Amino acid sequence: MDAPVHRLETVSLRKEYPGTLALNDASLSFESGKVHALIGKNGAGKSTLVKILAGAIRPTRGSIVLNGEHVQLRSPADALQRGIIAVHQELSLVPELSVAENILLGRLPTKQGWGRIVIDWKSVFARTEEVLQSLGIEFDLRARASTLGVAQQQVVEIAKAMSYRPSVLILDEPTSALAQHETDRLFELVRRLAGQGVILLYITHRLQELQRIANTVTVLRNGSVVGTIDIADARPSTIVQMMFGENLQKARPAELVARNEPFLAVRNLSKRGAFQNISFAVNRGEIVGIAGLLGAGRTELLRAIFGADPPDEGDLLLEGTPVRPTSPQQMKNLGVALTPENRKEQGLVLLLSTSVNLCLASLDRIATHGFLTRLRERAVVDKNVRELDISVANVDAPITYLSGGNQQKVVIGKWLNTQPRLVLLDEPTRGIDLQAKQQMFQLIWEMSKRGISSIVVSSELEELLDLCHRILIMRQGQIVGEVQPQEISLDKLFAACMEEQEVQ
Amino acid sequence: MITHSRFRMWLNEGILEIILILFCVALSFIAPGFLTPENLLNVLRNVSMQGVIAFGMTMVIISGEIDLSVGSAVAFASCLAAFLTQALSGAGIGMPLAIAVAILVTLAVGFLIGAFTGLMRTRYQVPSFITTLALLTGLSGAAELITNGFPLTPFPDWYNFIGGGYVLGVPFPALIFLLTFVVLQFLMNYTPFGRSVYAVGGNAEAARLSGINVKRVKILVLGTTAFLAAISGIMVSSEIMSGTATTAKGWELDVIAAVIIGGTSLMGGVGRIWGTMVGVVFLGVIMNGMTLLNVSEYWQHVVRGALILVAVLLNLLQKGREQR
Repeated sequence: MDAPVHRLETVSLRKEYPGTLALNDASLSFESGKVHALIGKNGAGKSTLVKILAGAIRPTRGSIVLNGEHVQLRSPADALQRGIIAVHQELSLVPELSVAENILLGRLPTKQGWGRIVIDWKSVFARTEEVLQSLGIEFDLRARASTLGVAQQQVVEIAKAMSYRPSVLILDEPTSALAQHETDRLFELVRRLAGQGVILLYITHRLQELQRIANTVTVLRNGSVVGTIDIADARPSTIVQMMFGENLQKARPAELVARNEPFLAVRNLSKRGAFQNISFAVNRGEIVGIAGLLGAGRTELLRAIFGADPPDEGDLLLEGTPVRPTSPQQMKNLGVALTPENRKEQGLVLLLSTSVNLCLASLDRIATHGFLTRLRERAVVDKNVRELDISVANVDAPITYLSGGNQQKVVIGKWLNTQPRLVLLDEPTRGIDLQAKQQMFQLIWEMSKRGISSIVVSSELEELLDLCHRILIMRQGQIVGEVQPQEISLDKLFAACMEEQEVQ
Repeated sequence: MITHSRFRMWLNEGILEIILILFCVALSFIAPGFLTPENLLNVLRNVSMQGVIAFGMTMVIISGEIDLSVGSAVAFASCLAAFLTQALSGAGIGMPLAIAVAILVTLAVGFLIGAFTGLMRTRYQVPSFITTLALLTGLSGAAELITNGFPLTPFPDWYNFIGGGYVLGVPFPALIFLLTFVVLQFLMNYTPFGRSVYAVGGNAEAARLSGINVKRVKILVLGTTAFLAAISGIMVSSEIMSGTATTAKGWELDVIAAVIIGGTSLMGGVGRIWGTMVGVVFLGVIMNGMTLLNVSEYWQHVVRGALILVAVLLNLLQKGREQR
């Protein structure tokens, strides 16, 4: 079957936000009949590009050309009208409606009946049946969406998208919640769609999928297009090189060595659905990294150690004393701290001031005879601001006004005020600029010097290599390996975090 | 420039206080007898029974909860105090001791009722809105049950002091009201507990992950408020010299209104005890002024409704300005 060739181009597409350049003059070209993969780390600019193409945000400048015609996308409806549609990672089906209703949501066919406009159910099912048939899939159209598994919901989302007969279909990390065999079926569907003359953009961060699904690979980094290569030339190490780029970080000072005194030992820690049988030890002043993919159980492990989501089984030894984590309060009193991955949702009270946030974990320490005085608080806060180099105009103003990097420093400062002996850092550099990152590293090394141990979870593998004494690799809820940063290359580490088959 | 923005900030922060003062100035010209010591103390006295609860309610709302049961709790406490006094003195215990025991037990029961709401909230995730809605009906019924539907009047004359007496010319309930203000103002601004209340209401998960015992905070806050409702109930029983099940009907809405006029956000995390003080006095002054001016009671309700809306609107407008 020969479908006409469509072409989508972006010309110097650029998106600036105050303080960040989210997309830097991206000029790309996609044609129908092929699956075009877009790959890059978090914050590389993938989602910005997708949102612009889907009409959700408008570019600062640059243009989109569809089949030789310049198009202005002011809203998702605009994009839809041009035949561009995106299926996002988060599913958006209405759980209590049927599959058919979800597919035709907002445009159910109607007819005249009893003098009123009523839904024409016959044509609802006929039309959805037709859509599913063209995709070569079968479904119980009357099943409620809430009764479907995630993979099936994903397929319904795609069917819904396809019912608009788009010329451009954007799939944003469609496999992130899917099992292997479900992924296989999805890939089949995607290839069939490509054959029907649709321009397919496929966003992913999974290297191993590329060979199986993509025809071309476009790599983005820090908002810029690094390059587009044919899948035939796309060796994993090449792509990793393109994704991570040259390493510009400051390296860990050589003299910074962990002391040979055990501080924490984790013994057979398990939590159902999150991780199993985790055992490892951390020395005093040691910085241990945990590498792994999203969903490997890294965050869950940190939260379990901190008592935020207590483990089902196993315990900790803190300086040889067995401890069963039950609450953050208990672990705080034992000298453990956690800076959570979602700063705004879990790390800070955004309504309150910088000052209050800094004191929040150590109120009892700061109070004298049970009373807080402004003088004492101010002394603590001033010291934090000075030592952590927090740039803040007014410490009594709501903390929302601070930049991401400064907010993160406040989260760390809050815990330094508790005089911790072990700090668990979950994605400490997420969404902060390069300079703040350097300062964060400096801070963690500084703590190490003072004998404070750290466990760092990060998706930025190159950062772990620079920052840590030792890196544990987690996969599917288990620790599958341990490496020394000086003995492993970035692409080897990346491969080790991937599925089994890619380790060799 | 700096003085200018300082002035603006001061104006923003104190807009309600300024309006209140302007109101008082206006009333002192047009309402005969408004600006007299007796009348002003009378205003204070009139607001004190609800005002005591309003400070607790401020904490509850800041912590992200709500208590709809305070009116019924006042009625229940007044009846319980009367019932216990009657039972104890009937059993041959001397009146002063009987009353002392009755008051202490009533206050303790008050605290436990609030703590119960907190427990339902923290252990079983029952929203405080629901539990206190149930208590609103339940406590009112319980008050009827223990009084058999008729006012209990076991109190000796001197008991009237609590709700009707004067110390150095100041009504005793007004003193309790001012004392409650001082204690809670201090608690909320100068103790780790107060800071925790703001944190819990602002972001409960962040508070928990900061090692704050969120459950304890919620239980204590709700317990304190029901305790204050019990104090109010005792003052009411003393003022009317009986335990009456039908008293204090609808107080919960008056109390919440005063808290909201004072700038506390129903979303939690934001609010001040001082603001509630202004809100309580504001409502009291308006009622008093309109009564002095012979405005019908129906109009008083309309004006009060308008005041709630205007106060919240001012608050939101001010916030919008700050964000710009």
